[in-house]
Amino acid sequence: MPGTTLSLPYRERIGLVMVLLILLIATGGLINLQILNHEELTTQSENNRIRVQPLMPSRGSVYDREGREIIDNRPSFTVSIVAAEEVRKVTVPNLAQLLGFDTLKVRKRLRKNMVSRYQPAPIKRDIPFEMVAIIEEQAARFPGVSIQMEEVRRYTSDLDGECFTGYVGEVSDEELNRLGRVDYRLGSMVGKKGIERHCDQLLRGHEGTAYIEVTASGLCRGPYKGKEPTPAVAGVDLILTIDNDIQRSCVVALDTFCCGAIVAIDPRNGEVLAMTSHPGFDANIFSSVISEDLWRDISNDSTHPLLNRPISGLYPPGSTTKLLTIGAALEEGLINETTTLKPCYGGYQFGNRYFRCWKPEGHGTLTTVHAIEQSCDVFLYQVGLKLGIDELHRYFDLCGFGSITGIDLPGEAPGLNPNSEYYDNRYGRNKWSRGLVLNNAIGQGEILVTPLQLAQFFCGLANNGVVYRPHLVRKQIFPNGEEKTPAPEMAFRLPFSKKTLTLLQESLRLVVEGDHGTARRLRTDLYSIGGKTGTAENPHGDNHSWFVGVAPLEKPEIVVCTIVENAGHGSDVAAPTVGKVIRTYMTKKIGSDEIALTTHGSDH
Amino acid sequence: MLNYGDLDWKVIGAALLLSFIGILLIMSAQHHAASSFERTYYLRQLVWLGLALISFVVVIHLPLRLFDLSAYLFYFVSIALLVLVLFIGTSRMGATRWLSFGFINLAPSDVAKLAVLLGLARFFAYTKLPPASKQRLAFSAILALIPIALILKQPDLGTSLVFWVILFSLWFWSGLSPLYLLLILSPLVSLVAAFHWLAWALYFLVLLIFLFLLRPGMVFGVLTVIANLAFGIITPFIWVRLADYQKLRILTFLDPGCDPRGAGYQIIQSKIAIGSGGVWGKGFLSGSQTRLDFLPERHTDFIFSVLGEEFGLWGSFLVLVLFGVIFYRALRIATRCRSRFASSLAFGSAAIILFQLFVNVGMTLGFMPVTGLSLPFLSYGGSSLVMSWTLVGLIVSVHYRWQEY
Repeated sequence: MPGTTLSLPYRERIGLVMVLLILLIATGGLINLQILNHEELTTQSENNRIRVQPLMPSRGSVYDREGREIIDNRPSFTVSIVAAEEVRKVTVPNLAQLLGFDTLKVRKRLRKNMVSRYQPAPIKRDIPFEMVAIIEEQAARFPGVSIQMEEVRRYTSDLDGECFTGYVGEVSDEELNRLGRVDYRLGSMVGKKGIERHCDQLLRGHEGTAYIEVTASGLCRGPYKGKEPTPAVAGVDLILTIDNDIQRSCVVALDTFCCGAIVAIDPRNGEVLAMTSHPGFDANIFSSVISEDLWRDISNDSTHPLLNRPISGLYPPGSTTKLLTIGAALEEGLINETTTLKPCYGGYQFGNRYFRCWKPEGHGTLTTVHAIEQSCDVFLYQVGLKLGIDELHRYFDLCGFGSITGIDLPGEAPGLNPNSEYYDNRYGRNKWSRGLVLNNAIGQGEILVTPLQLAQFFCGLANNGVVYRPHLVRKQIFPNGEEKTPAPEMAFRLPFSKKTLTLLQESLRLVVEGDHGTARRLRTDLYSIGGKTGTAENPHGDNHSWFVGVAPLEKPEIVVCTIVENAGHGSDVAAPTVGKVIRTYMTKKIGSDEIALTTHGSDH
Repeated sequence: MLNYGDLDWKVIGAALLLSFIGILLIMSAQHHAASSFERTYYLRQLVWLGLALISFVVVIHLPLRLFDLSAYLFYFVSIALLVLVLFIGTSRMGATRWLSFGFINLAPSDVAKLAVLLGLARFFAYTKLPPASKQRLAFSAILALIPIALILKQPDLGTSLVFWVILFSLWFWSGLSPLYLLLILSPLVSLVAAFHWLAWALYFLVLLIFLFLLRPGMVFGVLTVIANLAFGIITPFIWVRLADYQKLRILTFLDPGCDPRGAGYQIIQSKIAIGSGGVWGKGFLSGSQTRLDFLPERHTDFIFSVLGEEFGLWGSFLVLVLFGVIFYRALRIATRCRSRFASSLAFGSAAIILFQLFVNVGMTLGFMPVTGLSLPFLSYGGSSLVMSWTLVGLIVSVHYRWQEY
């Protein structure tokens, strides 16, 4: 066969070309990686070995006005197993025995939670400290077992303050999008309700970062020297306006009832001294793992423990807003303090409807002041008619009803303050009776208020018309010791003249101190109390019982607003409750045991 | 006695330098290992280097005539060892590759490389058949195919490729035109091209034109066409039948990023190690990829990645240059020496080393698949080192005795 051989020099040349080609390809490959892609591959190599570890800041603590704990942090211990250090037939059985699990359950959790053989896989969260002590002391029995500590929130349990403290939980996707991903990341804890949520930015502090060097299998090889760690900055501590003593007295006062709420405010500055929603729930359950059963029980409970009654519970105000109706009529010059209207014979005929007074035998003829003192409905019906729906609506609006107070808590409800436009929309133009104003005038009908709004209105009455915005944060203490005390903010002024206010204040006094007052039983010789009872008709059940008390009347320092759901007359149920709270306040103020002893009898 | 001044000290020096660099790299590769056994790999490699040098010294003292005479005997012994390993071999990671002699594990496939090289060199030295004759091609192919079949049975695809390389390089060196080599290799191209029918059709057209112009003879031409057709049709058929993990391996080779945690991991980590080394490297014992376990098999298959990371471009290039010295010298010697047998030995030795270098370095750089071929002189492993030094011994011996017939 021709042309099949090649001379030796040619073959040598081809051989050389092959060698050069291969060495060139290899060199090209080296240049490609080590020069052209050097930077990117260096970054990848750094990413390989450096693990960014967040340093968690201590969340700010929350104290009452006297520096007593409301929320603080406690250590929570998680027990884990490092698979690579586990000893067969020793680690798992011993740990299972300690935890009271069976070995299979421990094995299952180990498999499920293991990220790498060298990283601790959590077995149980929040184990009691005694177990931690056993594991530390008898380390030889637990090879490969490690304990991680994290801080969780502790809410002082007998305060029932979850309506203002709120609680924290893992950030949700929706919150991540809303709050931004700079300060929060998946798994961050965030305030879900109450002060925890409103002041989350202050309380949470700033995460720090540490850089550690890890091996391919995730084993830590110590700190990475190329980058300085940034330390975490602890959160801001808060001093609240709450007084734990008064708060506790509220809890005790409501304890015997099914459902209700108390708000206590200092009318001179809007500081909320106590606030409780009953029944509540224990905010601590959110600190460890909340079981599905427990959560279902709470959210399906017919008494609605998750409802934040003081700021978002909506109730008809009942007679408590009769003062507002009278005040409006006085301002508009429709009546004066000595005006007498048609006498009360137990009811009032309007059109073809008969509106009853709460007292079937009637009050007879009353002047304005005594009409309030005895809470006469017939008198109020007539005042309401003089005012008309929209004028009444205007005064309710000016007194802060139908809109949120702007307290430093999330989730406040605005309530409902209807006007003729509202009724037009609801029933159709001219399809509703003007008689509705009779209901509104006595705080019934469509009007809905929150206990906080009502307390705010009475603060205005007690403080000569000036309403301070209710608030809970009294002082912020920064980690560097710096303190910030926000000044009380004036929210608005009640639309009443000095003369009207004096008259309304006098009627508050008569409710307790007058011979016919509906809350006569609160009367005490040691300090003066004023107030207003209310019995709100409730279409869904028994009447709600209201009382708003003010003390001491000469120079009011505390306004306590109580609602007890489905409990009947305000004078029977809510008034004594308020009396207890006010007594606690006054006892503390005067510092005398005498009060406690003397007033004890007058309550009953 | 030999006149030591006449030895090829350039080749010896290059091989010695490579071996010592290898020991340094093995030391660095396992410096942070948890077990003291792994940390002292480099000491054992040092002992192996001693044994390899003894083997080298023995080889250069033996007359070439002895290799010539004992070539077939040696061949049959190594075939026997290969058969033996299938029955009583030691298994590691699913492959039976080693014969255990107490503390030493011998890989018969390394011995077989030498044996096939000697056998083929002897056959090509004495045959009177023309280079492209069918009998000559067939007989030499059978010499290579027997060990290939035995090694594929182990299984060890990477090492079996070395035998193909010995066969093809000696076919070429004994005078077969490279065009014929291309035709013989053409079914392999078919195998790859067949993944896309248009690519394969174009390739097939080119092949036909090539055959028409070259006219290699009726039988050869027809066989080539049939083989190409067969491979082209078989490929898609085989692909469908491959198990998922086998497909994954092939796909990973084509695109390592497609499975970064699994099969592509080694290649990605190797590229990161070499690339992050840059021009000057991170320094001895300071490669983070090496130190922190990101590099897999770093003292054996991926030793070149350790080199690239810690000594950068200049270190890697230096190693390539040292290899280049050996190849260049071997080629010169193969061309100059008078004996056809000796010439084949020198050329074949260089070809084995060159092929392993290419496949191994290509793998660490990410343009060759993971085959498990070690890097001569540098990778940890006794029989590989002894084998490499034996080949160097042959090259030096041929150089020393270039005038012998």
